[in-house]
Amino acid sequence: MAEKMELNEIEVWDGNHAAAQALRQAQVDVVAAYPITPSTPIVEGYGAFMANGYIDGEFVMVESEHAAMSGCVGASAAGGRVATATSSQGFMLMIEVLYQASGMRLPIVLNVVNRAVASPLNVRGDHGDMYAGRDSGWIQLDAFNAQEVYDLNLCAFKIGEDINVRLPVMVHQDGFTTSHTAQNIRPLSDDEAYAFVGDFKPVDEMLDFSKAVTYGAQTEEDWHYEHKAKQHRALMDSYTVIDRVFEEFEKKTGREYKRLETYMMDDAEVAIVALGATVETCILAAKQLREEEGIKAGVVAPRCIRPFPFNEMRDVLANVKAVATLDHSAPMGAMGMLYNEVAGAMVSTQDRPLITNFIYGLGGRDFSINEAKRIFREQKGHADVGYITTEIQQFSGLRGPKLGFYEMKRS
Amino acid sequence: MAITSIKNLKEFSTNNERLEGAHLLCPGCAHSMIVRELLNCTDDNLVVATNTGCLEVSTAVYPYTSWDTSWIHIGFENAATAAAGAEAMYKARKRKGTLKDPDAPVKFVAFGGDGSTYDIGFQWLSGAVERGHDFTYICLDNENYANTGGQRSSATPTGAHTSTAQAGRVSYGKKQKKKDMVAIMAAHGAPYVAQLSPNKWKSMAKGFQKALETEGPCFINTVSACTTEWKFDPKDTIHVTDLATDSLMFPIYEIINGTELNILYRPKNIIPVEEYLAAQGRYRHLFKPENRHVIDMIQKEVNEKWEYLQRREEARV
Amino acid sequence: MKGVLATDKRGVRELGAEEMVGWDEVTQGVVLPSFDQPIGNAALLRPEERAYSDFNSYTATVASWRVIKPVYNRDICIDCQNCWVWCPDTSIISRDKQMLGIDYDHCKGCGVCVEVCPTNPKSLLMFAEAEAPEDALAKWPEKKKKEKKD
Repeated sequence: MAEKMELNEIEVWDGNHAAAQALRQAQVDVVAAYPITPSTPIVEGYGAFMANGYIDGEFVMVESEHAAMSGCVGASAAGGRVATATSSQGFMLMIEVLYQASGMRLPIVLNVVNRAVASPLNVRGDHGDMYAGRDSGWIQLDAFNAQEVYDLNLCAFKIGEDINVRLPVMVHQDGFTTSHTAQNIRPLSDDEAYAFVGDFKPVDEMLDFSKAVTYGAQTEEDWHYEHKAKQHRALMDSYTVIDRVFEEFEKKTGREYKRLETYMMDDAEVAIVALGATVETCILAAKQLREEEGIKAGVVAPRCIRPFPFNEMRDVLANVKAVATLDHSAPMGAMGMLYNEVAGAMVSTQDRPLITNFIYGLGGRDFSINEAKRIFREQKGHADVGYITTEIQQFSGLRGPKLGFYEMKRS
Repeated sequence: MAITSIKNLKEFSTNNERLEGAHLLCPGCAHSMIVRELLNCTDDNLVVATNTGCLEVSTAVYPYTSWDTSWIHIGFENAATAAAGAEAMYKARKRKGTLKDPDAPVKFVAFGGDGSTYDIGFQWLSGAVERGHDFTYICLDNENYANTGGQRSSATPTGAHTSTAQAGRVSYGKKQKKKDMVAIMAAHGAPYVAQLSPNKWKSMAKGFQKALETEGPCFINTVSACTTEWKFDPKDTIHVTDLATDSLMFPIYEIINGTELNILYRPKNIIPVEEYLAAQGRYRHLFKPENRHVIDMIQKEVNEKWEYLQRREEARV
Repeated sequence: MKGVLATDKRGVRELGAEEMVGWDEVTQGVVLPSFDQPIGNAALLRPEERAYSDFNSYTATVASWRVIKPVYNRDICIDCQNCWVWCPDTSIISRDKQMLGIDYDHCKGCGVCVEVCPTNPKSLLMFAEAEAPEDALAKWPEKKKKEKKD
């Protein structure tokens, strides 16, 4: 039996170590992984637990990320708890198998330490990899700091493995900003954490030899459509379980999570919608603007990227006058993902705010509180005159001439 | 392990089949002969992983499965890793006591065609063998991408016509040599590696049982004559396979622990490769006068390989 | 004999002619159960003892693929099981070391069984699909004399 680890009430962990600790506490049966910056310390940390008798499960260091997810699929179909971690190029190599994991309804937990995608090669954080996964059929949870990485990992197992969900779950954190920044963490004890996650309940396991099962059959036009639609419905419906697990987690820890996080939105006139560690930057900016300039600024952040909190987004932005959506990923020929999701939600209501899109921080370029404040002020300007005075999509913090696209059409 | 009796065919035939009919493989396909034989070599529970390819698209098309064992297909390249993942899960759950029937004997097997074994899945296979998972990988080598209409693979032999290495006015088909996958897998230090052929059912069954019984990763290349892409009548699958083994185009041998090489079949009458080539449409163009030299070249290489195998066997290194 | 050569569920459905079941019946994760109930290791059970699910291709037929079919002559057969080991379609029905007959639901008519049959005359021969078995047996050739080699 694996040794238990005595933890302090407050530990100093970075996001990667928080993830490794959560995987240890969840008593994962198989971790199949391949190291890649900046997620490497997750598997290194797990390897250290392994080497020192804290792990009963198997730790399989494969030869590529594609094989990592392939091993996870084989292991998960064999009926046990499975997790891994990756970033960026590794995530891209994994993508084929991400679709296969979700199509087979296998509740694997994948820690994605977000990093830019080449070319040009870049090891720093942006959301290029996270965005590339958004059609893969996985539940995507986003942690904005190391504590949340720990908490959401524990929740991820419980959500994905729920009999009514049975879907794989990604837990995202920002490369370096979150993954390598140590902060105070309040962990659960090993026993409490495992009790929260619970035992794995196998479904259609390949190792139950009393009834043979076939995984990964082919479906053509007579069957494929129903299968994919059913998978989509499972993902859409998973919000009820996500909400319930978040509630249970709050009861246990006092830490509250919502699929759509909102900060200072009760009376907000202008808002920023963002993801990742940037959310904390924007919260600070909003606070300062409220105190210093009386701008009623608020922040909205999808905790859950998939399934997207469509209704919640529409409700929280209903009375806001101007919204800036911040996309930490190169949009490549369209508006950023958050702009599209937010605009999609708001177009189905009468009360549409003015919505703009900022691309920022590609390849780890810093995004400052001052820049967040500038963006808030700009939204306030739109709100005051009643239309978007700038281009709809702008690039924040980019050298050279101002880059922007599209203007508001006014009759 | 519960190995079944292979003393003679009568004994062997008392096994209960675990690959069902009404799969979609071509009439006369050797794939299912080989798979059936593997399944009949043991009574143990099996977890079978299969790469995308003829076998996979023919035995698991919704709403049907032809498998009476646990079975998984993920992608074109990763059956070895799927089997490895399942094997790791088995070890973990056995240790933790969460298996429903912890005493049930189980074997892990992966199947792939030559496309997924020699080419696209090469890395996944290499990785799984290097890590020492306890599984048996069986390549159903029909020397082309038969599932997609007969394109070249690195297992396609010199001179064969395929849709992407065509014979034509200025081409005699594939120019390159066949990759020596058996040697490559033996070089991994795998405890048991072999090349076997379904026409020699008993040596194949013996090899399968050795692989299943051996702890650690085992690799077997099996000759799978392809009626559709080699272009011969479906009834002649075993006849063509006989020509393959008796011309020594497919020598049958095993390599234990990467060094000890044993030849498992020595034809009483070695036939010229020409007879083997003449039995298949994919080599028809070689019988034009301008391509005679290719047949001579193939014969020379077959002779050299046979010489090499015999010397390796003798040297015990 | 009937129970072995043609069990209740074998070959009852034409491939591609399955009822397009509705939304609820589509299995989660495209997982297909081979059996309706836990039967244990199938290697320990004969086909006629297994609770095949509708998802098992055992319940389907490929008889329509055939234009010629093998006919089996029990009188000549020596139960060598060559046909059994090399049948690609699990269509030679053997029990207790005896060849019982051909599974015409799953046989595709490749003719391998005839080629590998060692008896003289052969105990399996190919006939037109429409040929009645009794007519085929009536036409069975005599023992061939070995031809002298020149």
